[in-house]
Amino acid sequence: MKFVDEFRDAALGRAVAGEILSLVEPGRHYKVMEVCGGHTHSIYKYGVDDLLPANVELVHGPGCPVCVIPMGRVDDGIAIAEMPGVIFTCFGDMMRVPGSNGSLLDAKAAGADVRMVYSPLDALRIAKQNPAQEVVFFAIGFETTAPSTALTLKRARAEGVEIFSCICSHVTIVPPLRALLESPDLRLDGFIGPGHVATVVGARPFEFIPADYGKPVVVAGFEPLDILQSIAMILRQLAEGRCEVENQYRRVVPYEGNLRALEVLAEVFELRPHFEWRGLGFISDSGLKLSPAYADLDAELRFSVPGVRVADPKACQCGEVLKGVIKPWECKVFGTACTPERPIGTCMVSSEGACAAYYNFGRFAREREVV
Amino acid sequence: MTVVLLDEHRALALCADADGERHTVETALLEQAAVGEQLLVHAGVAIASLAPEVAA
Repeated sequence: MKFVDEFRDAALGRAVAGEILSLVEPGRHYKVMEVCGGHTHSIYKYGVDDLLPANVELVHGPGCPVCVIPMGRVDDGIAIAEMPGVIFTCFGDMMRVPGSNGSLLDAKAAGADVRMVYSPLDALRIAKQNPAQEVVFFAIGFETTAPSTALTLKRARAEGVEIFSCICSHVTIVPPLRALLESPDLRLDGFIGPGHVATVVGARPFEFIPADYGKPVVVAGFEPLDILQSIAMILRQLAEGRCEVENQYRRVVPYEGNLRALEVLAEVFELRPHFEWRGLGFISDSGLKLSPAYADLDAELRFSVPGVRVADPKACQCGEVLKGVIKPWECKVFGTACTPERPIGTCMVSSEGACAAYYNFGRFAREREVV
Repeated sequence: MTVVLLDEHRALALCADADGERHTVETALLEQAAVGEQLLVHAGVAIASLAPEVAA
């Protein structure tokens, strides 16, 4: 299949792996963070890390949209879903994220009208089909998903669908990256930049990483050869003493991003002064809320929500996993009390979560290694 | 996804995924879309079209 097969070519993969081997200095340990959960999924699914030299370590970043939602926000969603006359809609992964007293799926089992949708436009369609009820969409995701929510809200406004509203938990990628770079826990040599976020925001917002922190960034696609090539590009920058933003995913990502999407985002959203990230705590200017022009479609203003901060379960180490401080299998409950079927932490819920990706694919390779 | 049919007035496209399944896709964020073009679709919205020199 075009755009897929050529990026999964085994012979080319071996050639790039050889190039990577030629670029590393013996005795030096390299830590490269893949920011996006989509990359984490691909790395484990295709065994990309098995092709790397032992001294090139991939560290998983905070770019899984479901994983970074704190328990308090889930509780807010459940509180609205349990109100009479409400149809609550969300992406499938979000239904399984544990709150302090169960998940949205549990709320559905107890009688709440919670429905899975593939896009916010599906939620708007449900609203138009049910004019006597309130339809709420739980909006999550980074700048990749936020334009979809923004366009849906514009469409709801244009079509006069007043019973539609949105609980906005969209986040932005740059502030948590800056927080990670300021963290003394973590020493990184470079970043695999998030290809789909960059499709919207462009590669320019990542220029602060080489400029302020002296680390290379390569915006990358999601096929195994994309990821291998981006690692080679990072290592080549390090070998040549360069430090800049490079775009490996040029077939999709324009350096300046999608200007129309950025205009829509600026119209519909504004930055929250602070937003809580699971495991990372409160980060300034990192979350989006509806702008005053769209405040009438803001479910947090339309309904009463608890808005209470809830601490993660003590056994759960999603925070350390999201910061790349520990590997998924180093969490105390990984694969025992916490599995994709019965997740304790968010990283085990989404297929893009490091724990779920590792549980589904990587653990077999590790078992071979341990044996 | 590949564009099969366009409704430019409503900024919608009927697209086929890799398995041939059809989906309605919002195209308002693209400068233009054409039948046969490859789109990157996220949550029901096309956020990019593949560079023509790559798609050729």
